Amino acid sequence: MENVLTLNDVDLSVRLKNVIFKNPVTVASGTFGTKDEYKSCVDYSRLGAIITKTITVLPRRGNNMPRICETPSGMLNAIGLQNKGLQDFLDNKIPYFSAVSAPLIVNIAGETLEDFASLIKALHREKKVVRAVEINLSCPNVEAGGVSFMKKRERIRSIIQMLRSETDLPLIAKLSPELGDVVEISGEVLEAGADGLSLINTLKGMAIDIETRKPRLANVTGGLSGPAIRPVALRYVYEVRKYYSAFIIASGGIMTARDALEFIIAGANMIALGTSNFVNPAGTMKMIEDIAKYCSDRGIKTLDEIRGSLVTPSTQTNCSTAY
Amino acid sequence: MVDETVRILENNRINDKYYKLVFESDKLSRNVEPGQFLNVQIEDGYDPFLRRPFSYYRIIGSRLEILYEILGRGTGILSHKPPGSDLTILGPLGKKFTSDIQGKKRILVAGGIGLPPLVFLAERQGADYLLIGAKSQREVMPAKELESVSAKILYATNDGSYGEKGFVTVLLEQLLQQENPDQILIQTCGPKVMMQAVMDVAAKYKVRGEVSIDESMACGVGACLGCMVETDKGLQTACVDGPVFGFERIRQRLA
Repeated sequence: MENVLTLNDVDLSVRLKNVIFKNPVTVASGTFGTKDEYKSCVDYSRLGAIITKTITVLPRRGNNMPRICETPSGMLNAIGLQNKGLQDFLDNKIPYFSAVSAPLIVNIAGETLEDFASLIKALHREKKVVRAVEINLSCPNVEAGGVSFMKKRERIRSIIQMLRSETDLPLIAKLSPELGDVVEISGEVLEAGADGLSLINTLKGMAIDIETRKPRLANVTGGLSGPAIRPVALRYVYEVRKYYSAFIIASGGIMTARDALEFIIAGANMIALGTSNFVNPAGTMKMIEDIAKYCSDRGIKTLDEIRGSLVTPSTQTNCSTAY
Repeated sequence: MVDETVRILENNRINDKYYKLVFESDKLSRNVEPGQFLNVQIEDGYDPFLRRPFSYYRIIGSRLEILYEILGRGTGILSHKPPGSDLTILGPLGKKFTSDIQGKKRILVAGGIGLPPLVFLAERQGADYLLIGAKSQREVMPAKELESVSAKILYATNDGSYGEKGFVTVLLEQLLQQENPDQILIQTCGPKVMMQAVMDVAAKYKVRGEVSIDESMACGVGACLGCMVETDKGLQTACVDGPVFGFERIRQRLA
């Protein structure tokens, strides 16, 4: 790892089952619009993957305003899964993404097994464009189908098992600590047939206007995102990686290549920029370049060389001759 | 839309309440229309975290001006940025005010910090009246800021210290009583309470118009769905579908 390489010698690709992502940089669901909102700042085809905003079977109006509020080094949101529904996605979004070379990962949510069945059947038929499915099991801002609803573990298990029975597309479960013990639930979803994990969704929080004494969000609580939650996200990636070898997409306040590399060293396979897109619209493009530069400067040919390579105090002691 | 780092040329307080920030950008200056806005990254660090939206106020050559008021930490920090410092800005964003006024008289109704896009509009396209609502004389703009506005400028202040005493809608109503409603177009920007009052007066006199809606925003590009407005086409974003909407399109009380 000592020799300096040229950028061309560095292979940033990552693989999930039969899907190859040309680099580990993607976008977190709900932060990158539904189609081409960022086209003036981002070359979509250069992304490792694109993760869509959550799609539900029927259109959803979302929550009342106000829906967002800035907090220290982050923000709260309670959008409430506003989307135009499955049919609009199939009619209007799939044709657009069929011309984008970055693999498309479609994020889905539902309230019943039937919802998930309709979604997965439709997406499975679009396998040429849809390369993987992320299951939103941890939205903090809706009742049915949201994080509280999914706290019943048997619900999660039966959803994953049913999805598995319907498709061979890679399935990625998006989790948050709001569901309970993340390591334990990771084990359960993987056992039920998921191929990967998305760690983590937003953390539930709130803010109050002391003049009006009203909550800043009409929904009262919302999902906290941004750098404020990054150390928490990192800890979950680290803890889950200790127990499982599954594919992990890390998210939670990741803004720069330095942040991304922390997550890769802790064991992440891919890095999703979320709230970062709102602040630095071209952040994904810079991150791809900066990760490549980090690797080339240090003679790292592939990310496998550093993934999960965390040097912990205990591993250090083993090699230490200082005593 | 460009995400660009620009250098601050000027950043000065111009009256009791407002600051004027000036920067240069060749790319932006050529593409901006009155009513559009920009999203400013206040700090490179993460606090304040989100960008802040500001209307364009004036463009002369490649020189762009914005007018702002200190409303919180972000604008407070902005007010301390010295000339020469860098600022990252995303723009132009959003839909412009209509320029197609079909020979009607244009009445612009501004309240508080809603004034800048209307001054921009008046300078670019002309207007018959610019009605300005302010709390008191201390918030009245220095005369030279408005000297290139050819419209007749009328003030209303809450405390009566300058112009008409009361809300700006008093001035609007006086005008509408004299005019043929079919021959008037109102364009307004200001506090939500004021804009709702303007829309109510417009409805009473059956006058058409446009409103520029300022909502809290995160992305400014239609991605986060944080700034929704209830319209005739359902929920639309203030940042991309707006901020300018025809009065007839709004399906909610603004305040």
